[in-house]
Amino acid sequence: GGAGPQVGNALGSLEPLRWMLRSPFDRNVPVNLELQELLLDYSFQHLGVSSQGCVDHPIVLTEAVCNPLYSRQMMSELLFECYGIPKVAYGIDSLFSFYHNKPKNLMSSGLIISSGYQCTHILPILEGRLDAKNCKRINLGGSQAAGYLQRLLQLKYPGHLAAITLSRMEEILHEHSYVAEDYVEELQKWRCPDYYENNVHKMQLPFSNKLLGSTLSSEEKQERRQQQLRRLQELNARRREEKLQLDQERLDRLLYVQELLEDGQMDQFHKALVELNMDSPEELQSYIQKLSSAVEQAKQKILQSEVTLEVDVVDSKPETPDLEQLEPSLEDVESINDFEPLFSEETPEVEKPVTTVQPVFNLAAYHQLFVGTERIRAPEIIFQPSLIGEEQAGIAETLQYILDRYSKDIQDLLVQNVFLTGGNMMYPGMKGRIEKELLEMRPFQSAFKVRLASNPVLDAWYGARDWALDHLDDDEVWITRKEYEEKGGEYLKEHCASNIYVPIRLPKQASRFSDTQAPGKGSGTSGGSAGEQA
Amino acid sequence: KKVPAAGFTQGISMEAMSENKMVPSDFSTGPMEKAAKPLPFKDPNFVHSGHGGAVAGKKNRTWKNLKQILASERALPWQLNDPNYFSIDAPPSFKPAKKYSDVSGLLANYTDPQSKLRFSTIEEFSYIRRLPSDVVTGYLALRKATSIVP
Repeated sequence: GGAGPQVGNALGSLEPLRWMLRSPFDRNVPVNLELQELLLDYSFQHLGVSSQGCVDHPIVLTEAVCNPLYSRQMMSELLFECYGIPKVAYGIDSLFSFYHNKPKNLMSSGLIISSGYQCTHILPILEGRLDAKNCKRINLGGSQAAGYLQRLLQLKYPGHLAAITLSRMEEILHEHSYVAEDYVEELQKWRCPDYYENNVHKMQLPFSNKLLGSTLSSEEKQERRQQQLRRLQELNARRREEKLQLDQERLDRLLYVQELLEDGQMDQFHKALVELNMDSPEELQSYIQKLSSAVEQAKQKILQSEVTLEVDVVDSKPETPDLEQLEPSLEDVESINDFEPLFSEETPEVEKPVTTVQPVFNLAAYHQLFVGTERIRAPEIIFQPSLIGEEQAGIAETLQYILDRYSKDIQDLLVQNVFLTGGNMMYPGMKGRIEKELLEMRPFQSAFKVRLASNPVLDAWYGARDWALDHLDDDEVWITRKEYEEKGGEYLKEHCASNIYVPIRLPKQASRFSDTQAPGKGSGTSGGSAGEQA
Repeated sequence: KKVPAAGFTQGISMEAMSENKMVPSDFSTGPMEKAAKPLPFKDPNFVHSGHGGAVAGKKNRTWKNLKQILASERALPWQLNDPNYFSIDAPPSFKPAKKYSDVSGLLANYTDPQSKLRFSTIEEFSYIRRLPSDVVTGYLALRKATSIVP
């Protein structure tokens, strides 16, 4: 037993804990009600709920647009049976935000574009009420943008795989990304090297001890080794040939001297012997013999190595055991003498490893991520889901699709009040982009108006607070415990910020009151599989 | 049957991450939590029916995921115009997707026949040809273009 679960902002740095993080959500729907219970425990405790035996407060809770009935049923069960609340009202977060941002008591129509962590919704509002059948949801949000950005950078910088964390990606999205008003035009600007220089953002990663060499893939390492093998073999061959040439020249000279003896030119012969620092014709003879056999051997070796050159390149094992250690200094081809002791024909000695760092290696630059076009690519996925291979239409096309379902008059009404909310709408340039898309799809010289929520992240909460205070005594919007028991957990009371209620009864789940299962056409109970979650 | 409010079963599998992040304390298999007192505002006997509870036994221990929930929802008696979670899914795009370079994100006029990566300049082409195969596969997977080799 420990201090209990840690929740939300109390977690501090997420990266060391990321593998342990749990959430009740699957996309934007709570599916694991035990984890939901932990969250509610935490929330009620921290709010200072002190009532005994129940949470004696009405609850306003957000739910997904067109929340599955099963999910609402489980949530209501948790609230009423576990916490004993008196009444609950379910609403939609972006509608609460809309409520907060419009003048009070004004029934309005409009088009809400709401983008959060998991999905993006386009919600038409007609005379203060959600027109649910014409809503659309794109299954992309901030989390997919972060994931995309992460993969892009990891593929560009494979050596920094672990350092490219989701937390850092969210930082780039929040602080360094923007939405292009015209995506193709903006990309053209990025082609220009000056624009790139002025607009690339460099993220400095903390120093890590990994050397450049060790981050190569195994394929790269093999390729390197083979290249080094080839280089060494060429070097050896060259040196052999040079030596052979020298020896051959010397041999020729000695043979000439010997000819002097054979020809009987004794004076010149003796003079030559003195020059050669030799004492007798026998000594000359033995030298000649040694040298000619050496020349022969060298010629043989050269022939052999030419044949085996092809074979050795395929072999992945290095010829000498010192190959690895010499890796850094191999670039320095000028100092051939360094190789002499190791690659002579005698058995190579084991040298101490040479750890020279490349002279032009910039340690700081190696640890920098250059974020260029990625600044606009990641936020763009909600406009072009095809960037990540998703088939769904993006915001603009979906907007057009929805507008086309209405008469011209209603279309005009809706576009006069386009409202943007949700954290994933906060990129600089988002409003301008939506306006540009509307300009392209609306009739020539027709009017439209786009507004951003005053606080796209928190206005949902502020709106729910405003709404709750405005409707405390309005019995028509709260679901009481009695109604829960009579009409089931899936029951919903509609109001200006709620879903539409479709009156379908779910059978009660297999409960602790054993065997009270209503047989029904649409069975909501499980043959719960043991398959994995989420 | 008494079940403590704070007890949980082993093996809750990893959920997708979202805004509501949390780290659970370690679980105990015993019937009573040692350290945490049951919270005063809860019913200590509460059991989630969705989790299978005591009745369904071992088979029903895990929560349904969204896919499973939606599968059951589809089977309900909806009318044609009723809005529900799956009917409000945005339709697939009818416009031809623009092609962008996998490497730089610029408009791509060309595709490498060997690796199927898209590129826009000659420099990008030589960069692509020198990429290790895992990076190539990574770029293709990013736009769901990996082919299944028999």
